[in-house]
Amino acid sequence: MRPRRSLTSNCILNLLVAISALILTFPLVWIVMMSLKQQAQVMTWPPTFLFRPTLENFRVLFDIAEAGATSYGTIKVDFLTPITNSVVIALGSVVISLLAGVPAGYVLARRDIPLKEDIAFFILGFRFAPVLLVVMPLFSIFQTIGLYDTFFGMIWVYQVVTLPMIVWLSRSYIEDLPKDIEEAAAIDGAMPVQIVLHIVLPLLKPGLIGASLLIFLLAWHNFALGLILSSTKAPVTVALLKLLNPGVQFYPVMAAGLVVTMIVPVILIVIGQRHLERGLTFGAVK
Amino acid sequence: MDLPGLDAIVTLRSSVSQLAPSEAEELTAEERALDWWSLAAIAPAIIILLGFLFLFFYGVFQSLTDLRFGRPLVHFVGLSNYAVLIKTEDFWNSVRATFVYAGSAVLIEALFGLALAKLFATEVLLARLMRAVILLPLVLPPMSVALMWTTMMDPQNGIMNYLLSLAGVGRFAWISDPSTAMISLVLIDVWTYTPFFALIIFAGLQGINEEVREAARVNGAKGWASFLYIELPLIAPYILIAAVFRLIESLNQFDIIFGTTQGGPGNSTAVLSVRAYVTAFQNLAFGRGAALMVVNWILVLVATFAMVKLWRFVRNRVI
Repeated sequence: MRPRRSLTSNCILNLLVAISALILTFPLVWIVMMSLKQQAQVMTWPPTFLFRPTLENFRVLFDIAEAGATSYGTIKVDFLTPITNSVVIALGSVVISLLAGVPAGYVLARRDIPLKEDIAFFILGFRFAPVLLVVMPLFSIFQTIGLYDTFFGMIWVYQVVTLPMIVWLSRSYIEDLPKDIEEAAAIDGAMPVQIVLHIVLPLLKPGLIGASLLIFLLAWHNFALGLILSSTKAPVTVALLKLLNPGVQFYPVMAAGLVVTMIVPVILIVIGQRHLERGLTFGAVK
Repeated sequence: MDLPGLDAIVTLRSSVSQLAPSEAEELTAEERALDWWSLAAIAPAIIILLGFLFLFFYGVFQSLTDLRFGRPLVHFVGLSNYAVLIKTEDFWNSVRATFVYAGSAVLIEALFGLALAKLFATEVLLARLMRAVILLPLVLPPMSVALMWTTMMDPQNGIMNYLLSLAGVGRFAWISDPSTAMISLVLIDVWTYTPFFALIIFAGLQGINEEVREAARVNGAKGWASFLYIELPLIAPYILIAAVFRLIESLNQFDIIFGTTQGGPGNSTAVLSVRAYVTAFQNLAFGRGAALMVVNWILVLVATFAMVKLWRFVRNRVI
C-alpha cells in the first residue's frame, strides 16, 4: 500500500495534476475557440474568450462553390480533396503494411530463420531512417517512371514509415501470446499456414486493431513525403501549411483546418488509448 | 537481475536487442534448416524495405555528384560537395542549430517528463481521471502542432503574449525574432514530446516492486532519499531509452521547424534537415542537399551510438 497522505498534500497534488492537464489541453481548446470566431474577433486585443460562435470558417474550408465569397474577402480553399487524399493514403498504407508486415512479424517472433536478429535490427532501423535522404532520389525517379503524384506511389513510399512499425508491433504482440496452443496444433499435424489462420490470427485480432490504429495515425501525421512527392494528391498536412498564407493571415480558417486534422487522432485516443500508448512508447507501456 | 514485476523492462530489453545485435542463439543444425514457409512470409516486407535501402545508398551516391535539377549531364565529383560545405559559415551554423535544438529539447523533456510521471504515479483522484490527457500532444500531427503554436505565438495578437501580459511580462517576439526563435521552437517540442518521456517513465515507476520501496522506508529512507537512491537508479534505463528515441527524432526534426519558421528568421533555426530541403528543392542543388542529409544522418548515428553506450553502462550498473 502507498503511504496515506495528508489532506493538504492530496489537494496540492490534485492541483498540480490539474495545472499539467490545463497546459496540455489549453492550446487545443484555444484553437477550437479560434476556429469558431470571425476574423475580426481573432484580431482584437486583448483576445476574447466570450463570443458568438460561427461555423463560417468550416464552410469556407469545404464549400468549394462559394469559397470565393467570404466575409473576409477572397480566399479559395479546397480542403475536402486533401482530406480524402490523406484518408486514402493512410488506409492504403495500413492495408499494405498489414499484408506484408504481419507475416514478417510472425516469423520474427516464432520461427527460427538464419540471421533473425540481424533482420529484425535492419527492419527497426528504418524507424529512424533519414526520410529526406530516401525521398530525394525518389523525386526524380518517381517523375521518370510516372509515380509522382499518384496514390500508388504515395502508399508505397509511406511503407518506409508504417511497415517497420507494424512488423515491430505484431512481433511484440505475437510474443505475448501463449506458445503451447500452436505447438499442440503442430504436433497434431496442422500446417504452419493453418496454425496461423485458425489459431494465431483470432488471438491476435485485438492487437492488430490497435496496431492498425497506430500506423493509421503515423500515416496521418506524415508531412515530408507528401510535400516532396505529390501535388494534387497532397495529404492534409501539406494543405494545412498552404492555409498559412503569408501576408493575409486567415487564422480562423486555418484554425478550422487544424481542428479537422486533430479530430481524427482525438477519436483514435478514445477508441484505443492503451494500444496507442503501447505503440507510441515502442512497447514500454503494456 | 531478479526484479519481479518488471515485465515492461523485458520489452525494453527486446527493443534494445534490436539496437545492439544479440548474442548468437544456440541452434542445432536441424532447427537451422531452411524453412520455406517462413522465408515466403518474410520476403514481401524485406523486398519493400530493401527498395528503400537501395534509395538510401542512391541518395548517398547523389551527394557525391553535382546533380542539379534540369542539368542533363551529372558528374561524379567525389567529396567536393562536403568540402565546399565545411568551408561555409552557414553549414556550421546549421550543425550548431541541430544540436542546440535536439540537445536542449531532450534534456528539458526528460526533466519535465520525470516530474509529470511522478505526479501521475501518485494516483490522486485527478491523476487517475486525466491519464488520457498525457497522450494528447503525441497523437496530433506535428505539422498541426507547429501551425497551432504559430497562431498562438503571433507577436501582434497571439494568446501567448496575452498570457504573458497577465503575468506582467511585456510583449515577446517568439518565432519572429532571431534571438527568441530557437527558444520558441524548443518550447513547442517540449510541449509536444514531454508526454513521451512521461509515459515511458510512468511505466518504469509502475514496474518498481512495492517491496523495494517498503524496504527503503523501513530502513528509514526519507522521501527524497528514497527517490534519489532507490527509484531514480531503477528508472534511469527507462529515461535513457526514451532519450535515445527522442534524440534520434529531434535531430531529424523537420515538420515542426518547417511548419513554424522554415529555418528563419535569418539562419537562426536552419537545422540540417530544413537546410537540406531548401538546398535541394528550392535552390534545386540536389547533390548539395543530399550531402547535408548525409551529414545529418552521420550525426544521428554518432549521437545514438553514444547514448546506447551510456544506456548499457547504466543498465549494467543497476541490474
